[in-house]
Amino acid sequence: MGHWGWLIAIYLFLGGLGAGAYLTSFAAEKGFLGKKTNLNRVGYYVSAPIVAFGALLLITDLRQGLKKPWLIINMFLNFSSVMTWGIYILTAFIFVAFIKAFFVWNKKQAPDVLSYIGAILALATAAYTGMLLAVVEGVPFWNSYLMPVVFVVSALSTGLSLTSLLAHFFEKHQVHEERVSQVHLWLVSMEIISITAFFALIYSGGQGAVAMVSANLLLTESLALPFWLLLILAGLVGPLVFYVQQSRRQKKAPLAMKEQNLSENADMPAGVNQGASAKSQNALLLCDGAVMVGGLTLRCLIVFAALPVWNGLLS
Amino acid sequence: MSHNKRIELSRRSVIKGGLLLGTVAAIGLMPIKLLRAEETVKENAEPKTKKQIGFSYDEAKCIKCENCVRICQETYKWEADSPWRKLLRNEKGDALSMSCNHCADPACAKVCPVNAYTKRESDGVVIQDSSKCVGCGYCLYACPYHAPHIQKKTGAVSKCHFCYKLQDSGSGPMCVGVCPTQALTMGNMKELSQQGNLNYKGLPNPKITNPSMIAIPK
Repeated sequence: MGHWGWLIAIYLFLGGLGAGAYLTSFAAEKGFLGKKTNLNRVGYYVSAPIVAFGALLLITDLRQGLKKPWLIINMFLNFSSVMTWGIYILTAFIFVAFIKAFFVWNKKQAPDVLSYIGAILALATAAYTGMLLAVVEGVPFWNSYLMPVVFVVSALSTGLSLTSLLAHFFEKHQVHEERVSQVHLWLVSMEIISITAFFALIYSGGQGAVAMVSANLLLTESLALPFWLLLILAGLVGPLVFYVQQSRRQKKAPLAMKEQNLSENADMPAGVNQGASAKSQNALLLCDGAVMVGGLTLRCLIVFAALPVWNGLLS
Repeated sequence: MSHNKRIELSRRSVIKGGLLLGTVAAIGLMPIKLLRAEETVKENAEPKTKKQIGFSYDEAKCIKCENCVRICQETYKWEADSPWRKLLRNEKGDALSMSCNHCADPACAKVCPVNAYTKRESDGVVIQDSSKCVGCGYCLYACPYHAPHIQKKTGAVSKCHFCYKLQDSGSGPMCVGVCPTQALTMGNMKELSQQGNLNYKGLPNPKITNPSMIAIPK
């Protein structure tokens, strides 16, 4: 059986995270995340370095390829291998995202075509991390149509979280657009639905008994603690509850929110409002952190729960 | 005027968003379907190579001497943890001598990013070139029979190649030659598949890769 462990799991996570960060800034730039936004730059800055670092981890996990690095160039050769597709997609994405970041950094308008190619490559990167596992028939747990779907949704969600976090710390002007919370609420809901569907498909028996044994590892056996605690509770249900609350609060008092935004921008916050806002701000940051922890946990669990279609023994 | 413009923009954004979503679906779902479809087509079209040779194991004849395993190890010096051939046994006394099955649809060859695997047109033998291998481990996951292994010393994958050099010079593979009872033999899959298959004691579904091996239970 294979030897994939932490390095590959983190690589899959970072691939999704970088892609998601790019798409967040892309969405912000195109106005999908509210009229006023501070998410339209940091995502671009971090996306290429994150994916590049992930690719470095993949290379570190190689055996002979690490001793004889000139062999790595051959990884472009087999067009029937999803790993080869990935090498192309990642290379192209890192390249395009760097150029896009360069334009944004210099406050220049990048050609629209470049931004869109970057966005398509970002989606391809996120989807590839799932496809890499989904095509392996030797591991029934991975061999699911829903694998890339789960990974793409998680990539978007973690990317949005990372970009929000970074924007909070590195962008001068702060905005709290309810649209961002709504989008994140939608993403987290989609992730819960797709993970539920992923397990439902396995327990319906379509992928065989071994896939169910793998799923049991996560739901009730050795990996149940991180699954329920880090992925489901901290990474999904917690954020879901928070985003629901927040969108309710924002609906109740849209005017108050606006005033608050204004006062914060003017650096003149009013006492009570500010206390409450700082609290919710902290909760929001915590929530973004939890979403990322959940995303990383998801990749690790999926990689660790891989059981081969045959255990190598005679029955 | 400005109001109209805003609506137009949002409409355009919706279309763009839809296009992007469509791309996700296409990238995420299409290739699996394509790969699957390709497989079904392959399964139906009978001969994939000009000829396909394979192993045959007759459990009733096997005396479990493990000569096949020993000669293979002595010849190719693989590490004990990374065997090319194994004699599998269970408590009931069942056995199976198995190596790489030189599948008609080798999953290893499909996933290997560096094209280290080739399937010979002349006899269907799947040969892995260790000098090309980067040691990514993808084939270890892909092969349902645990045939490829990473040798610790080199960090490269290696596996049974059906003693192709011996075969090219006119003799048979070592394991078959050394078997005292002819429990392990080789032959043309056209004939072998008339006598049996590899639907054997817990082994994975042969439909996954179409292995070129049959096992006859006692």
